Amino acid sequence: MSNTTVKQKRTALKVAKSSKTLNVSSGVFRVSQSITKTINPSISGKSFSSASDSKVLDKSLAQTPKHTVQVFDEHGQDVTPHPLYNPDPGVLQPKPGKIFPAHDKSWTTMTDFPSVAFQTTNASFTGPFTKSFFGSVSASRTSQTTESVTDETKELLVKPDLSSSLSDAQARREEVKEQVREDIMDRVVDSYLTETETIWLLDIPAVSVSEDSGDAEAVKERNNAYTELCKNRHGNDKYVERSMQTFNDAPKTKEVQSDSITMVDKAVMSTTWDMYDSFCNKGDVSENTVVSAEGNKATVPDSSSMSHLLNPSGPDQSMSVFSTTSTVSGSSAHLEKMTCVLPVEEEPDLELILQSDKFKQDLAVMERVVLANIFQPKLAAYRQLPVIEDPDCVQTQIEEESWTEQSKNSLSPFLEHLWVFKCELTKGRNVSSMTWNKKNPDLLAVGYGQLDFKDQKPGLVCCWSLKNPTWPDRIFHCESGVTALDFSACNANQLSVGLYDGTIAIYNVQTTEQTPIIDSSDCANMHACPVWQLRWVDHDTGLAGEDKGEMLISVSGDGRISKWIHYKGLECVDLMKLKSPNMIVNNQRWNPKILSLAPGLCFDFHPNDSKIYLAGTEEGHIHKCSYSYNEQFLETYKAHTGPVYKVTWSPFCPDVFLSCSSDWTIYLWRQDLSKPVLGFTSGQKVVFDIMWSPHCATVFGAVREGKVEIWDLRVSSLDPMIVSASSPGVNPTALLFTPETDCVLVGDSEGQVTVYKLKNLPAGDSTQVEALEDVIRTTLSSQHTLGKTDRNA
Amino acid sequence: MAEVEETIKRIQSQKGVQGIIIVNAEGIPIKSTLDNSSTVQYAGNVHQLLMKARGMVRDIDPQNDLTFLRVRSKKNEIMIAPDKDYFLIVVQNPTE
Repeated sequence: MSNTTVKQKRTALKVAKSSKTLNVSSGVFRVSQSITKTINPSISGKSFSSASDSKVLDKSLAQTPKHTVQVFDEHGQDVTPHPLYNPDPGVLQPKPGKIFPAHDKSWTTMTDFPSVAFQTTNASFTGPFTKSFFGSVSASRTSQTTESVTDETKELLVKPDLSSSLSDAQARREEVKEQVREDIMDRVVDSYLTETETIWLLDIPAVSVSEDSGDAEAVKERNNAYTELCKNRHGNDKYVERSMQTFNDAPKTKEVQSDSITMVDKAVMSTTWDMYDSFCNKGDVSENTVVSAEGNKATVPDSSSMSHLLNPSGPDQSMSVFSTTSTVSGSSAHLEKMTCVLPVEEEPDLELILQSDKFKQDLAVMERVVLANIFQPKLAAYRQLPVIEDPDCVQTQIEEESWTEQSKNSLSPFLEHLWVFKCELTKGRNVSSMTWNKKNPDLLAVGYGQLDFKDQKPGLVCCWSLKNPTWPDRIFHCESGVTALDFSACNANQLSVGLYDGTIAIYNVQTTEQTPIIDSSDCANMHACPVWQLRWVDHDTGLAGEDKGEMLISVSGDGRISKWIHYKGLECVDLMKLKSPNMIVNNQRWNPKILSLAPGLCFDFHPNDSKIYLAGTEEGHIHKCSYSYNEQFLETYKAHTGPVYKVTWSPFCPDVFLSCSSDWTIYLWRQDLSKPVLGFTSGQKVVFDIMWSPHCATVFGAVREGKVEIWDLRVSSLDPMIVSASSPGVNPTALLFTPETDCVLVGDSEGQVTVYKLKNLPAGDSTQVEALEDVIRTTLSSQHTLGKTDRNA
Repeated sequence: MAEVEETIKRIQSQKGVQGIIIVNAEGIPIKSTLDNSSTVQYAGNVHQLLMKARGMVRDIDPQNDLTFLRVRSKKNEIMIAPDKDYFLIVVQNPTE
């Protein structure tokens, strides 16, 4: 038998003998034409009916009433399962009409067939299926043998329609029936509904039996018998091994083609931090996946960028999007986008980045790093770290050699120039005051302002950091020249600024805002003259009530020393009015009622006893005053003939203080003596500023016009230990020691603040307090009039 | 904005600074003071190194993150300030 590609239009009816239905189509066509008369020759031309043709052939050849797909049970009943598909007889009509032009012929025999077929096959079929079959049969198939018709109907499945075939078939059948038996129409007919027999399709008997059932014993016996049989089988003559050969059916090659399985490589790199990120952002994942789904763009980066733009709140959220999309995309894509969140376009990219705060911070850090590279040796020297040469550079060795040569050659002390704080802004301005931040020892505030009444221009306060000597970290512009500065110790971010016009302002250096926190310009009692000195003084010790805590105290040219309180604005309370002592004019006492106040230029609180302070005036007097008594001075020290620019207590000796004045002298006083102990003068230059060294009790620095001097009383009290001349035309105007290292800062009239390191100072273990006291004692004992001589020199 | 430009100019004018490159998140340089080919080279290579470095730091402790990276070589030093949206590269030869 050869195979034909028969269209699979049959149902499960084809249980057996399916091979018989497969015929060579050409053979079928020829035979069919010869055998059957009613079959339309056109049928043969269609593969559509090849199946039906084959049936016809089969029937004619085999001439057997039942040849295929009839299942009978043991009682001879036909229990052939019915097909579930029922072709619609109503629809069948037009189609057969196209294919079978001899449709009329087929229909003429229709009425005969149903009744005949019904009767013959009633024994085997029950149910509505048969009716539909007949309907379809009559419409599509014509044959002389009724049995073949019924068989063929079962196998015919070419009609696609399934609509209400049953009802139509039934209607037809009943019509036919009534035509036959009209006479019995009025009779009452009993209809009996019976259940069809159960059709077993599959019956697998159970292999296990319950122990309670009756058969259990029998089953057990049989089992035992079987096991014994198995035991006996071995070596028993009753059982002989015999082999059999089975026929091998002809092999058949069947090819099946399936769609190619596309393989996609997927990989995810799981790292510790990736898992951590996903875990942290678990809650946000659903939100982000919704958003990214809404983005609905073809490329993954864009969808994640959409979600980034819509969720700008957390930077972590973008990472979570990536953790979800990374599982979707391949590993390479994941790597690329690992650390990035992508904005949609290029242009806003640059703008967004440049304006972000993080970028500014990064830039600032980068600037410091670059500068640290450049200034590394200088900063190391500043911080008293060993200066290590850069192993990669050859050029600077030459510089360093020349540099170290000088230091090696001269064993005498000198000032080593480290670097200069200067920038465009500060050019041409006069440095009036410098102060270190109390909390951050690397932060320096420098005030720029003219000290003379002429050349007044708006002042400037710059906060420099040691880490960036080329540009200040903070810049505050002030309306008038800055004359005094001080950082608060309690609130390290507050910087009080005293101006030439008498205003006191407090700035917050944490921000870059140009406006101060508070200004004293609204205060009624504000100073009318330049504020020459400011100090935050901590009155923790001893005082009760509202005076506890830190207070700002200022001295100004209008002769008042005031205490400022920050309470809804700055309010001031006068601590002292610097009355000038009685002046004798023309042998007459000046009227004491007319009080003239001497402009105060400086003051200094005692380091140990915060109630006592010294104040220097323009007249050259130094008054010792008490905080709690604002009527009179405790004592007055008169020695200077010119305005006293600076008065400062020694940080180590509680009784000793220094004062400097424009009369070219520096005096060392002891507070119980009304005359200075020592006087220092070298040259006829005004002394602008002095400061005790915070490390050594016998060392102090002084700034004269054109020179910077470092005095050490152990070495000599006549000459300064180090004299460093500044460039011509430039006057150093301010001096500041560094509290932690042995460097000194000098501010000059060109707006530069130079950092020097004190080298080759005579070493001393302690702070040399005894040395200072020794010096004083010897001086006192030897020469009482030293101060006078110095003054006259 | 002007402040940022000024700062960039200041850095550029420091001693030994050879160039500043600002690279966006994708690794595409968006601002540079070097020539094109060098910029592209730096940007591409630094990007990879940065990812490795960051991965390493976070692998050891996921709560940590990379804040700054400096690569010192014989001829110069490359300083990188990374961030999620960008990274900033400065190349300096401090011994010039």
